[in-house]
This record gives sequence, structure tokens and C-alpha cells, in this order.
Amino acid sequence: MNKTPAYKTALDVVFIIVLVIASWWLATDVFGVLPSRIFPGPGAVFSQIVEDGEKILTGIVSSLGIIAQGFVLGAACGIGLGLLLGSQARVHAAAEKVVAFLSAIPPIVYIPYGIALLPTFRASSVLVIFLATFWPVLTGTLAGVSSVDKRLIDSARVLNVPRPKILLRVTLPAALPLIFNGLNIGLCLSFILLTSAEMIGGSSGMGYYVKYYSDFSDYTRILAGIIVIGIVITAVSMLFGMLQRRLLRWR
Amino acid sequence: MCREIEVKNLTVTYEDGRERFCALEDVSFTMRAGELVSIIGSSGCGKSTLLSVLEGLRSPSSGEALVGGEPVTGPSPERSVVFQQYSLFPWMTALGNVAFALEQAQPKLKKRERLELARHHLERVGLAGFEGRYPKELSGGQQQRVAIARALAEDGDILLMDEPFGAIDARNRALLQDLLLELWEGDGLLPEQRKTVVFVTHDLDEAILLSDRIILLEADASRGIPGHVRDIFTVPLPHPRHRHDLLRSPAYSAFRCAVSDIFFGEEEASSLQFARKEVLAA
Ligand SMILES: Nc1ncnc2c1ncn2[C@@H]1O[C@H](COP(=O)(O)OP(=O)(O)OP(=O)(O)O)[C@@H](O)[C@H]1O
Ligand SMILES: [Mg+2]
Repeated sequence: MNKTPAYKTALDVVFIIVLVIASWWLATDVFGVLPSRIFPGPGAVFSQIVEDGEKILTGIVSSLGIIAQGFVLGAACGIGLGLLLGSQARVHAAAEKVVAFLSAIPPIVYIPYGIALLPTFRASSVLVIFLATFWPVLTGTLAGVSSVDKRLIDSARVLNVPRPKILLRVTLPAALPLIFNGLNIGLCLSFILLTSAEMIGGSSGMGYYVKYYSDFSDYTRILAGIIVIGIVITAVSMLFGMLQRRLLRWR
Repeated sequence: MCREIEVKNLTVTYEDGRERFCALEDVSFTMRAGELVSIIGSSGCGKSTLLSVLEGLRSPSSGEALVGGEPVTGPSPERSVVFQQYSLFPWMTALGNVAFALEQAQPKLKKRERLELARHHLERVGLAGFEGRYPKELSGGQQQRVAIARALAEDGDILLMDEPFGAIDARNRALLQDLLLELWEGDGLLPEQRKTVVFVTHDLDEAILLSDRIILLEADASRGIPGHVRDIFTVPLPHPRHRHDLLRSPAYSAFRCAVSDIFFGEEEASSLQFARKEVLAA
């Protein structure tokens, strides 16, 4: 299959977005086929986004702050521990089994402990995001370390690279493709869990915005919140994808 | 400088769960400091296994390998290695790979000097202009040349090379053979000041062109015979050598003839004796 040039794909995507908004507009504002109370038209929703701009922005900043803290911490711990455990054959085998069990538990169930042990709901959310990232990244790193071609380690050994440096300069980059699998899962889970947490017990953030107005059945704002959440997550995923392509461009 | 190599009754057995496979049995030979010795033999006879012991990556099941009188217990900066298969770090550019070797070999260099030197080594193997390429963007032969540049950069007194030119086209291969000869023979170096080189190849002409002596290994897995030394030949040609003079030399032709009979297994027991006498006479 021939690769479609990026600009053409971009044009296609813009076209699809316009098409969806147009059909939405036709179905609501023009022909009114959808019940207008729960399906406001695009005009109303977009002007609502502009009107609530400041509030929405504060929500985004709050959510992204929590994600950034939990994700970076979880990724760092997952990669660090994975490299250390992974480099010892015997520890590695045991660690893989234990991690498989622990990572199967959805991190949201730790919220009660977070609330009991941590001072704020925000801190509990960071804990949940941390765990949501930590387990898949640890799993990915362990898999990555065992996927490293032994010949590369031998190459480094005959170059007399000291062990810790081999871990950092050889094992880590060689394991990076599988580490990124873990990071992508972690990022995806983080957004799902954070939005849920904000809707359950938060007092700020994008999920909270949707939850708050759903108590008033304000569907214009609910829809505005949903659209903003979609855009923000897509933007973060795209940036992360760029980082991944940059770091793995040698592949 | 202690660079002589002594291999004594070396036996290497691969064990993997239930399977045991004896790859080398009772291999012994010695090499003087500054000697270039080729190891030849057909595929699977244990050449890479022998080298992995000298590299310090594998310990013998019995017997020992000594370098400078000391048993080999692990890799050492005095031994530079070129592996048989591509062993470049795929996330580093050609220049990065060579510079990484220099980081260990010459830790005092500043980053700029290191890159400068790495560039110089790439130039020596004919890869000027390819510094910024990742290994996947290089051909197999080019990758192998980066590996050679890396070993040159490491600059150990002992050079262990496992079929370094196997994947390289005839012309570049000849250039690299000449380069190796030139570097090893040095400009006015006394024989004992040269690097000690163990050079694995399956190419008889290459072995004759380069080496002082040739060790012929042999194995027959189908009859359960592990790799062992079949013969050791002294190449009756003086250094420095030049490819062109060599091809016209009668001593070269006679020697090549005799060894190839044994190497390709076409000899009768009697003609073998005959040929060897003839070589000694030449
Ligand atoms: N890790 C291993 N486990 C088990 N057997 C091995 C292992 N490595 C090599 N062998 C066996 O040991 C024997 C010698 O292998 P080796 O790689 O040393 O051969 P070689 O002479 O270098 O061959 P080639 O010219 O093809 O590179 C072969 O029969 C091979 O199958
Ligand atoms: Mg081999």
C-alpha cells in the first residue's frame, strides 16, 4: 500500500470533522430530529466553551498537573525498578509473575487507602495515576530487558563498559520500544482513571466540570466538557507520540 | 608488555538444560607477542567459541586460556574485539558507536576531541560521510566497517577478530585487508611491537595474505567429534607483504596449494606428507 502524504490525511481529517459538525448542526438546530434539551446544537456548545473559557482552562490545568505528577513519577519508578529487577535473571523471572498479579488490580480500588492515608483528594488522584502508570511501565520494562539482544550486552562488555553504564546506555535504549508500550498503556489508563476519579469525588478538573453540570442537567456544558476532554487527551497523546517517534527514530 | 597468548587443553561444552554439546576439545596452541595468527576451519568447528573464551565472555569447561601468563577471567581493555555478527548499538549513529568505545578507552578526552578522533577512525575504514547514519541505514558491510573502526578506536594491544571481512564485497575487502596489514605491520615497528592478532576467517587466501601462522580447526558433529586443532601451518612469507608481490611469488603458490589440499580435504594421506615436505623445502 502506498503511504498517503501527511497533508492529505490532515485534509481528510478536517473534512470529516466538518462533516460531523455539519450533521450535528442539521440534526439539532436545523431539523430538530434530536431532543434539544439533551442535544444542544454546535453553536450553543461552542459559545459555551468560549464563555466558560477560564473555568475550563483551570480544570485542564488541574487535571494535567495531576497526570503529569503521577505519570512522570510512575514512569520513572517503573523504568528504574524494571531495569534493576530485570538485569538479574532469577529475580526477573519471579518479578514477572508477581507483577502480573499486582498489575491486574485496577488502581482505582486503592482510592479508599489514598483517602485514608493521604491529606487531599488530589494526592489520592496522583497515587491512582502513579499506579496506573507504574504497573504497565514495570511490565513493559521487564519485557524490554529480556528482549535485549545478548550480543549487544557482549559488545558493551568487551568495550569494558562498567555494569551501571551498560544498564543506562545499552539495556535502557534497547528496551525502550517495549517500555513505550507500557508508557502508552499507562497514559491511556491515567486519563480514564483521572476523569472517573474527578467525577466520583473531585472538586476540580475536567471530569468534575462534567459531573458538576450533570447535577443541573446542563447538557450544553456537559457536551462542552466532553468535547474539551476529547481534544485535550488527543493533544497530549499526539505530543507523546511525537516524543516516542523522536526517541525511537533509530528503529 | 605481556601480550602472548597461550591456550592449554581448552575444552568448551555448551550446556542448556538437558542438552550438552562439546564444541571444543583439548585445544592447545601458543602465540608470541606481536604475532598475527589466523584460525580457519569450516562452519561450526568452534572458531567463534574459541574467540569467546579469549574475549572473556565464556569460561572454559576445562583447560585454560592465558594472556600474558594470566588466565582470562573477563573482558579487558587490552583486548579489542570485532564480532562476527553485527554488534553495533542501533540507537547510536556510526560516529556515536565509535565515540562510545572511545569513552571507555580514553576517558580523559573532551567530547569534541572524542568526536574528532571517532571521525578519523571512520575515515580510515572508508566511511567518511556516513558519520550521521544509524546502523539500519548502513549496508551489512558498512556496519562491519564501523565495528572495525570501533575496535581500532579501542586500540587494545590484542585484537580479536571474528570473520571481520566476511560480509564485505571483494574490493572493499581487499582494501581492508591491506589496511589491517598496514596498521599491524606498522611503520618500522619491530615484530614484537606489533599487536597480537587472532583473526578468524573461512577464506584461505585471506589467511595466507595476512598471517604468520594458520591454525586449522576441524570438527565432525555427525560423528560426535568436537572441534580440535587439525594442523598448524607457518606461512613461509616475510612481512611486510604486498598483495601484488604475493600473487607472483612461487613460495605463495606452493604453500597455497599444499594447504588448500588439506583445507578442502582432497588430499590422500601420502600426498599430504609430500606437499608438506615440498612447502618446507620452498
Ligand atoms: N550457545 C550455544 N549453545 C549450544 N551450542 C552452541 C552454541 N553456540 C555454538 N554452538 C555450537 O558449537 C559449535 C561451534 O560453534 P561456533 O559458533 O564456535 O562455530 P564457528 O566455527 O564460529 O562457525 P561459523 O564459521 O559458522 O561462524 C557449533 O556446532 C554450534 O552449533
Ligand atoms: Mg563463527
